[in-house]
Amino acid sequence: MSWRAIRSHKLRSTLTTLGVIIGVAAVITFVTLGASLQAGIIGDISPDDRQNVYGWAAPEESSNQGPLAGAQPVFTQPDVDGLSEQPGVRAAYGYTSIPTQSVGFGGERIPRQDAVVATGVDYVDEDEIADGRRFEYGQREAVLNPAMANAFERNVTVGDTITVTIVGGFAVNATVVGITEDSEARSPFEGFGPGPRVYLPLDPYYTQLVAEAQETPRFPAIVVEANSIDDVDRAKESTRSYLETESDAREQAEAANLTYELQTSTELLGQLQAVLDQLQAFVVGIAGLSLLVGSIGIANIMLVSVTERTREIGIMKAVGAQKRDILTLFVTEAVIVGIIGSILGTLLGIVGGWAGAQYIDIPLTYPVEWFGIAIAVGILVGVGAGLYPAWRGARTDPIDALRYE
Amino acid sequence: MNSTGGSAAVSLEAVTKTYMVGEPVHALDGVDLEIPRGSYVAVMGPSGSGKSTLMNVIGCLDTPTEGMVYLDGQEVTAMSDRERTRIRGEEVGFVFQTFNLMPRLTAVENVALPLVFRGISVDERRERAAELLERVGLGDRLDHVPNMLSGGQRQRVAIARALVSDPALILADEPTGNLDTETGENIMTLFEELHAEGNTVVMVTHERPIAEHAERVVHLLDGEIERIEELEAVGTEVES
Repeated sequence: MSWRAIRSHKLRSTLTTLGVIIGVAAVITFVTLGASLQAGIIGDISPDDRQNVYGWAAPEESSNQGPLAGAQPVFTQPDVDGLSEQPGVRAAYGYTSIPTQSVGFGGERIPRQDAVVATGVDYVDEDEIADGRRFEYGQREAVLNPAMANAFERNVTVGDTITVTIVGGFAVNATVVGITEDSEARSPFEGFGPGPRVYLPLDPYYTQLVAEAQETPRFPAIVVEANSIDDVDRAKESTRSYLETESDAREQAEAANLTYELQTSTELLGQLQAVLDQLQAFVVGIAGLSLLVGSIGIANIMLVSVTERTREIGIMKAVGAQKRDILTLFVTEAVIVGIIGSILGTLLGIVGGWAGAQYIDIPLTYPVEWFGIAIAVGILVGVGAGLYPAWRGARTDPIDALRYE
Repeated sequence: MNSTGGSAAVSLEAVTKTYMVGEPVHALDGVDLEIPRGSYVAVMGPSGSGKSTLMNVIGCLDTPTEGMVYLDGQEVTAMSDRERTRIRGEEVGFVFQTFNLMPRLTAVENVALPLVFRGISVDERRERAAELLERVGLGDRLDHVPNMLSGGQRQRVAIARALVSDPALILADEPTGNLDTETGENIMTLFEELHAEGNTVVMVTHERPIAEHAERVVHLLDGEIERIEELEAVGTEVES
């Protein structure tokens, strides 16, 4: 009988259901995109990256805010050299991004603020070089990734010279000695997505140019590579004890009350994931609002429906319908709308998630458990929104209801 | 019919119904009435005489302020709302002036409606409803919805619905009020047939010719029984 009532008001029921469909579809789309985004990021950590420890010194209030949050330049070249001698450590080097105005090649200048990274030789692994070789420390050489090399009208190849214009307008040249195989970020310091990059040796580009005002050049970050994945914890421990007891960084870190952040890619990713989760909760919350609006739509239409069918309620009560029967009838009606809405909404959300993933070019991952949750929510919305109108219907006095025109 | 002994179908003892409309208004004021099983009673009276209230009280739609109501020997006044609803479904068959059919249900579904709330199976419901529609002459209209039926046919569906639970009494409120004279006469003939078959019929009306089909006419005035009139059994003419 509920179903027949829904069918007899096709347009009204469709519009009501649409409210639920949109709400559920929005939730499913955003949850799918969130899950896909996370899967895309997590999938990008190479096994090689897992044995690296990323370190920087920052005020305590900046901790857990992601890679390089609040990082201060405290590490010196002797610190890095000392660290590479520690047990369990294969290599250690500094890391900093160089604030630039542009990257130029062949008379063409591409404005770029965040593309240039100065670091150690081992930052780019040998087998990651597709063409040429790694740069040498102390030389005016550069390694580019394909996104950078192909950004110019004429593609940059090994042997070409590029010009990096540092903030302040000071321009330096570098000979391209290698092109990497892909444009993925090579460490969490660069972020987690692909992008155009120029990799330069810290010496001379950082030590002589950017940090020349300082007595001793100091790097804001270090990378410590463990011998193997099993050695990561040991490398981390020895790095910490070295930094706390022997390093040059110690003095400045103590003076400025900085703490050392030493984290692996996996740990940093965990933090990033926490941020992503928050973001997702926020977006899903907004999508959830539309679901709430949808449920108010159901409640509204059920109230109209109950009023409109007052006389029918009177008839049913006169022929022996209990309050419970009337309640069931209207709640069933609301639940049917809720279920249909959530099923169609889930289908629409699956399509929406797919389209969104295509658009922002991330691998599609469906959070299947959410589909179940969506349908359960649809039923709950139906019950929740239908309960009050149904209760109003159930307690209608049959005498008044039969007189109702 | 379905109960033992000589107890009446309906029995009212000193029933008073008071509405508070600023000051107390006695819609019914100490009414004593016995409607024997198998009788055919009409209730007449001008507007405001308490006809509707009496009908609601007898039909378990309303409870009296004071006094006792027995339906088929059971004391209704002491019952909970739930029990009263149940007994209403089982022991009272309503026929209304405006038919009061469910607009979206077919004739057979309308007739079967009271059985739905008693948890009787679909097949049994349909069988019994079809049987009764056959009885009121609508065997060929089983799957028509009310707005495909004429007024007289709708009232026949309503009567079939009133009979479906095999009730202790049929309570008709101005059953011919919305029908033309000829159709009204046909409906009255049907009631007489039902009475002849042993059903108890209570009919509220303000039309004298309609009331004359009954065996007895209860005249109400200002919430009290003014007089009870015994009539010749007109029904016998029709019966043959």
